[in-house]
Amino acid sequence: MKKAMDKKCYIKSMALISCQKPLCDDWFSEPITFDQAYVRAQEPDNKEFILPSETRRMSKILKRTICTAISSLNQAGIHNPNAIITGTGMGCMENSEKFLFDMAKFGEKCLKPTLFMQSTHNTIGSLIAIVLKCHGYNNTYSHKSISFESALLDAFVQMKLGYIKNALVGSHDEITPFTSLVLKHTHPEYKFLSETSMSSVISTDSEKGVCEIESVEILHKSTPDEIATYLNETKDSILLLGVNGTAVNDNPYKSMIEKLTFTPRLLQFKHIFGENFSCSAAGFYAAAKILERQIIPNFLLWGTCSSKMNNDVPKITMVNSSVDSTWSIIKLKRI
Amino acid sequence: MERRVFVIGAGIISAIGVGKDATIQSIMAGETGIMPVKHLVTDHSYLPVGEVKMSNAEMSQALAVNYPCNELRTVLLGMYAAKEAVEEANLTATELKSAAFIGGTTVGGMDKTERHFKKVMDTQAEAPDSGELKYNDCGYSTDFIADYIGKFKIVTTSSTACSSAANAIIMGANLIKAGIVDIAVVGGSEALSKFHLNGFNTLMILDKERCRPFDKGRAGINLGEGAAFLVLESQESAVKRGAKVLAELKGYGNSCDAFHQTATSENGEGAYLAMRKAIDMAHLNPSDIDYVNAHGTGTPNNDECEVAAMERIWGCSLPFFSSTKSFTGHTTSASGSIEAVVSILCMEKGIIPQNLGFTTPIKEGATPVQKTQSERTIKNVLNNSFGFGGNDSSLIFSKYEESHG
Repeated sequence: MKKAMDKKCYIKSMALISCQKPLCDDWFSEPITFDQAYVRAQEPDNKEFILPSETRRMSKILKRTICTAISSLNQAGIHNPNAIITGTGMGCMENSEKFLFDMAKFGEKCLKPTLFMQSTHNTIGSLIAIVLKCHGYNNTYSHKSISFESALLDAFVQMKLGYIKNALVGSHDEITPFTSLVLKHTHPEYKFLSETSMSSVISTDSEKGVCEIESVEILHKSTPDEIATYLNETKDSILLLGVNGTAVNDNPYKSMIEKLTFTPRLLQFKHIFGENFSCSAAGFYAAAKILERQIIPNFLLWGTCSSKMNNDVPKITMVNSSVDSTWSIIKLKRI
Repeated sequence: MERRVFVIGAGIISAIGVGKDATIQSIMAGETGIMPVKHLVTDHSYLPVGEVKMSNAEMSQALAVNYPCNELRTVLLGMYAAKEAVEEANLTATELKSAAFIGGTTVGGMDKTERHFKKVMDTQAEAPDSGELKYNDCGYSTDFIADYIGKFKIVTTSSTACSSAANAIIMGANLIKAGIVDIAVVGGSEALSKFHLNGFNTLMILDKERCRPFDKGRAGINLGEGAAFLVLESQESAVKRGAKVLAELKGYGNSCDAFHQTATSENGEGAYLAMRKAIDMAHLNPSDIDYVNAHGTGTPNNDECEVAAMERIWGCSLPFFSSTKSFTGHTTSASGSIEAVVSILCMEKGIIPQNLGFTTPIKEGATPVQKTQSERTIKNVLNNSFGFGGNDSSLIFSKYEESHG
């Protein structure tokens, strides 16, 4: 539509920490399945990325962020990105909770400054900048299930405008045991709670890229009909959906599918990587890896799809919906 | 050429008044809103704060909203400001439907969370109190405010502590420039909470007296609360609709100090780069800036580094500058938009607001505006917002001229 919009945007590299084996793609051939309703992320060996003296005072989310950030930057061969853009739905929950516990137990005295200093949502993104000494654009989005999409949209738009050429874009959420108990009441739609820390390097340069990001859309308070109308315009043949097997979560997707004028192949990811406000970043990771490898693992198929034609994947459209009817659509394309 | 971005609506609520008229009157009269705590329940009631004078009950009644919004002060404040801004912009429901709403907050629903937390903790997160913690997340605050105004296309939240609102403004402007939307309602909202009052208190940066930004004897922050929203619109769309233009958002810059989570680097690198980027984007010379509405929190560290950063741009002859935080208190995540609206109002009225509480400069040449200047021609105002983690942003608002001068 606008001239600026001609510039293309690619994923150069990615790193993921989740309930699967960290910082690798073993899940592709050997996915771990869980029976529990809540599983914490598997921690990687931090020492490769950061000195133990530096991690001593860091909460889990901060350590994981540094690991995925540095891993993806190393893979891309970029040390100082033009921008660091971060998503997080709940921010530094472990530290916020400890501060709240102390306040509830001891009142408004003898509280610990370090907990407060590392409790804000932007502690995560600014820590990456501090570690890298990166003075570029730095922003953090915290908006429930579209925190990651907001960060990605920011990077995408700034690349289209020519303001930046590359960016570290990620989304991170930790779930403490206490938060997992609270979430049962605040978000009963979650079936399998787990944690996500995903970092990726996005660039206008396609060389050695994983895949192309064709579009990023946030559709606030939309109906399944509206989403179907949108998808019917391009009839993309593979949809990666945020379904989880519960009626309250999946019904909007089913209503949307009924209104499609074409029959796409349907994939899912939440049963493998778990659910939290940043889990669409894990879906994004999975979709990009499928496009890079050009094969869809059978365990990601949803519904009655046959496993035939799993080795020709031109494009994946990730469609995610929250129970409060906010949808996001990210279109990824093979390079 | 890039799309120009205009401000076509503004709304504000803070300790110095509800709405734009009350706000500018307080500024002109030199009346501070910083007073003893009235609404926040805290042991630290000896700390002066910039509290909005209305209670949650008064606000929810006036706005006609019920549970849970009536218990979420960030939401109530945001509704007031966003409503005033959108009413001024005179937008139809159809126009809102293709617009973006970008909010900025960090506290979100923490005020509600901390009222329920002890019970949730004592019962190991049993219902029903646990359910009340749902609205803690920043996204709920923004959604409630946006949905109160109308149906928007894109709604999201920037959360970078004290620069949240400034970064929400930047994101909105970028969405307009890229042609994703023509109109964006942008700003921030933040209520006082026990959590962050105590947090700042543990850092020992809260002044027990009224704050004195840029004064040699300054001893820290007075926290404040409030909200402000701007309606941004592309030039083409504003011209087509015949919108009344309040100002142009000519430039902005965001840069990370990348030094420390809560302290600023000595030479104010992040602040310097944010201001530099904003001035460059606006295609202005530093001497074109008529007034700097500084971040000026009143902490020894911030004000000294901000002066150092300004000196790197302007040398030893600094433009008129002042911090209006001695009027409103430090409204944290909302400060970027609150101070943007204050600056736009001052530009409109031709006044440069005084830096209340100042007597002695930090160093020679670093004297902020001591007496409110009136009948000034102000063409370009630069606004600084610096957050924890060194999340520094600067915005430049300019008097509207039909063509680039």
